[in-house]
Amino acid sequence: MAIRPEEITSIIQEKIAQFKPSADISEVGTVIQVGDGIARVHGLQNVKASELVDFGNGIKGMAMNLEYDNVGCVLMGPDTQIKEGGVVKRTGEVISIPVGKDVIGRVVDPLGLPLDGKGPLKAEKNMPLDIVAPGIIDRQPVKQPLQTGIKAIDSMVPIGKGQRELIIGDRQTGKTAIAIDAIINQKNIPEKERCICIYVAIGQKQSTVAQVVKTLTDFGAMDYTVVVSATASDPASLLYIAPYAGCAIGEYFMWQGKDVLIVYDDLSKHAQAYRQMSLLLRRPPGREAYPGDVFYLHSRLLERACKLSNENGGGSLTALPIIETQANDVSAYIPTNVISITDGQIYLESNLFLSGIKPAVNVGLSVSRVGGSAQRKTMRKVAGTLRIDLSQYQELAGFAQFGSELDKESQRQIARGQRMTELLKQNQYAPLTVAEEVLVLYAGTHGYLDDIAVAEVLSYEKQLLAFTRAEHKEVLDALNAAAELTAEVEQKINELLDGFKTVFKAGK
Amino acid sequence: MNSSSRIAAKRYAAAYDNLSKTTEDAIRRAADLAVAAQALANVHTWLNAPEISLAHKQETVRAALKKIPQTASFVEVLLEAKRYNLLPQIVQEVQALADKRENLLRAEVFAAQTLSAQEKTNIEATLSARYHATVKAVFHTDKALLGGLKIWCNGELIDGSLQSEFARLQELLTK
Repeated sequence: MAIRPEEITSIIQEKIAQFKPSADISEVGTVIQVGDGIARVHGLQNVKASELVDFGNGIKGMAMNLEYDNVGCVLMGPDTQIKEGGVVKRTGEVISIPVGKDVIGRVVDPLGLPLDGKGPLKAEKNMPLDIVAPGIIDRQPVKQPLQTGIKAIDSMVPIGKGQRELIIGDRQTGKTAIAIDAIINQKNIPEKERCICIYVAIGQKQSTVAQVVKTLTDFGAMDYTVVVSATASDPASLLYIAPYAGCAIGEYFMWQGKDVLIVYDDLSKHAQAYRQMSLLLRRPPGREAYPGDVFYLHSRLLERACKLSNENGGGSLTALPIIETQANDVSAYIPTNVISITDGQIYLESNLFLSGIKPAVNVGLSVSRVGGSAQRKTMRKVAGTLRIDLSQYQELAGFAQFGSELDKESQRQIARGQRMTELLKQNQYAPLTVAEEVLVLYAGTHGYLDDIAVAEVLSYEKQLLAFTRAEHKEVLDALNAAAELTAEVEQKINELLDGFKTVFKAGK
Repeated sequence: MNSSSRIAAKRYAAAYDNLSKTTEDAIRRAADLAVAAQALANVHTWLNAPEISLAHKQETVRAALKKIPQTASFVEVLLEAKRYNLLPQIVQEVQALADKRENLLRAEVFAAQTLSAQEKTNIEATLSARYHATVKAVFHTDKALLGGLKIWCNGELIDGSLQSEFARLQELLTK
């Protein structure tokens, strides 16, 4: 393509015509100390808490500590270009992020700068990061289910739209996998009910974030997902604002009446970043050296998850915060804080993971405080007693290990429990639709697996789903359409399962 | 200087300023302290030396500043409290307090060329009107500004220099 000099000249002329020369008046201070991502500034008498200040060279900071004779600022960039005596300007703005529908499908940093090389963002407006959560009048109770596509969760720890459900567990227990599956599963949901997903990576390796983005792209989930990334190599200040940035993007869509799912991966590293900043700002340390307001740090973030009233558009923001424990210790400071803030937790155990139970959900310790009322009636009927049955099975299985004689009923419970445990295993990136989950769990809870060897349960499930999808799609459609598990629908399922048993046994 | 030293300097300055009953008195005392600090600057190391006794230092200060006895007493207190090293900062703070009493603001004006007396007066008058206070400006020449003025006053930076205009234009063109 030939370059026409006249075009370039006219663009430059247009830009110069837009330029209005004027004196720049700003309140300024001077840097008296800088280091470790923190700058102390003399002056800035009227600066407000959390106000953005400009250090020049494109480096911004946030006023955190307003002290007697100086202002403690955290830097949002490298401190190598900032010198003692340097000029710091007030901006009069609080920190904000550009939002708009073009943000969907993008990977951005917590300041809204694109990281995916797809060009600048076309923002519709800027949203301040730290907003007060919607009040009581603005909300309504959680009443719609949010399907994760994971049988163990949708049946026993159901999540509702607007809920805050903690995913907690040691390293390498599948915490991120559950969150990613929940995002991927939105693809199975009709577009009208589908959640816009936001994945906030806090303090993770860049390679891990790249892997997550690749996975989401491969499964077509980036079409409705935003990734906010503050990696381990970013300053603590960016890690600190990352979840608030993700939440601000989510709130923008929520107030437009849309449903949003946000994953904070993970808040342990967020708390550590805040601890680093607080200690460097010389705020007094408390338990585990965290500052006194570390509870408020997370409560004000998670309180922003909500289901808005119909008058406000009925949008919702569902939060899935992730916490990494050390040696399964849920009684440490940050885990207990976040457990008490959220509406339930999915507890993943390394022992279960290592024994091959994936997802490694500990049924006894996992709970959903508000999701039950949002669970679909079909699922509630099928999985109603599943939790108790599995707990009883685990108790009986303990006895059975001693080799004691068990009565027939106990033996039946153990056999059922073994099959149900096997049935709840699920591969990564293979979420099921709610109809498929109901069908599979129905087979388990209604004894269709009792005469099938435990080792064959997963094969049975796989073949059942393939058989139904290929030859009896009407059953899945009926299950999808049914508000309740009526006798008519149950009859269809029974007929299907009876028919499949013959096919399965013949195929062995 | 660390934060606690700056805070201590502010407190000593406020105590020294409180001795003055009138604005004129405060201005005179501020000038006295500035003179004292200048006079003692040459013996700064000696006054900070631990091997010299406090009594000897105090006696020397009293003799050197005998024409301004109250200021001498203040310096003696600083020596006794081992805060003599804060004196330069205290002088600045005392001057700021005296300026506040006088409703006086100090400004630093940077221009690309040397300004005429009339231009200097106009600048001071304009700044006085803006801040509703008497403004005393110190004028500097900085050729890097290319044109226009850069003024520091009352914690504000008024930047009307060509240098910053060009920087903004560059930002606009390269955005």
